[in-house]
Amino acid sequence: MSFLPSSVALQGLTATESEFIYIVFFAGLFVFQFAFGTRIQVYFALNDIGRGLGKLKVMKEKSRKEAIDYLVNVGKAPNDPSQRVDQFLDYVTIMPVGIDPNGLVNKIDHVVTTNNDRVRAEVTALIGQNNPVTVSISENLLEVATALNMIHKIVRHYYILGKKTNSYFTLIQLQMLMPMIIQESDALLNAVDSFKVGQPVGDGIGPVSVSRLMIGKEKRVIAKDTVMAISEYKGRKLYVVKADGPMAYVGQPGIAIRNVIEEMGVKPSAIIMIDAALKLEGEKTGEIAEGVGAAIGGIGVEKFQIEDVATKNKVPLYAILVKQSILEAITVMRKEIAEASDKVVQTLQRVIEEKTKEGDDVIVAGIGNTLGVAQ
Amino acid sequence: MMSSVPSGDKKSKLLVYSVEECPVCGQKTKRAFAVGDYVTKDGAKCTKCGNQTRVALVYAEGTKPSG
Repeated sequence: MSFLPSSVALQGLTATESEFIYIVFFAGLFVFQFAFGTRIQVYFALNDIGRGLGKLKVMKEKSRKEAIDYLVNVGKAPNDPSQRVDQFLDYVTIMPVGIDPNGLVNKIDHVVTTNNDRVRAEVTALIGQNNPVTVSISENLLEVATALNMIHKIVRHYYILGKKTNSYFTLIQLQMLMPMIIQESDALLNAVDSFKVGQPVGDGIGPVSVSRLMIGKEKRVIAKDTVMAISEYKGRKLYVVKADGPMAYVGQPGIAIRNVIEEMGVKPSAIIMIDAALKLEGEKTGEIAEGVGAAIGGIGVEKFQIEDVATKNKVPLYAILVKQSILEAITVMRKEIAEASDKVVQTLQRVIEEKTKEGDDVIVAGIGNTLGVAQ
Repeated sequence: MMSSVPSGDKKSKLLVYSVEECPVCGQKTKRAFAVGDYVTKDGAKCTKCGNQTRVALVYAEGTKPSG
């Protein structure tokens, strides 16, 4: 045994037979681990990722089937939409080049708007009716199916790449990310159940809260898929903005707020935005946080537009946020979130009283998907 | 080796409710969600004062997982 010290192996003076076997065993184990440890870990990682990939495939296929079933059963699609849906799932949106950042947001806005218009036109053509709720739900179901299809493709790409190149680091990184990928995919799949029946999702807490201020008031379309109503609170005139419900729309709050200020000539003393915010682990669902700044997620176009118009007109931006997890944000609204709407309205009233005075104009925007929330 | 891919969790079942609120007397009635319900939709007549109620909230409540 070349790896043992020659003095021990040859003379046998310091080790008994059992000690010798013991040393040989652990020395062998050490060498084996050194030589094959990485390969064993790669084997386990491949197994693990392969199992996750199987789950992602099931999720992807289920969401596709749910979308097709909805288009056929509720949308009353006159022809079999399967082939068109499959083409839809692989459709790509190419983001503009970012090496010259000047005007980049407008370019992104243009590409995203083109894509959204295309999706709506295709869905409307696919189904045999023009009901805006059904069209918007179909759009959302197809978006979920597209997202799951893309996640599956990317994970499969790195899985095969790691397998081909036997790349330990590629596979280990992917293995570490798999629990989060599965969790988010599971959340997306769960969202399908809420979308199908038009139930409000957690992200809709902003629209739920501001809809109370709009009941019985005249509404006007202020931007695409976005409505505005004028309300009043303790001598302040409130311009309340939300996406047009109960469709599954998020609207264009950026353009809506800009239109209120620039086209209607309103000079608000404050813009107050109400939105769902992702909670950190350990935070309670339905907790309310206050802050300053534009409370809006997404790709950043709307946020830019709001910040831009607020800065130009020197209007302070205030935010009221309702904490929730990603799963809670895209699935049916939980009781804790829904019941937070009372506290949101109280907070809103307090902020209005503290930050503005009688006779002021205030813009209040409820941000989020307004599925199942009319006004 | 511990698997990093989560296995099927024991999820609590969610039941979805619509809460109808009377804008006059404030009485709230909770019932099972029906397809077509949405927030601000007109509900049934108020059992207390007879006025038109309105769906104020739609939300899900979890039940304890079985097994």
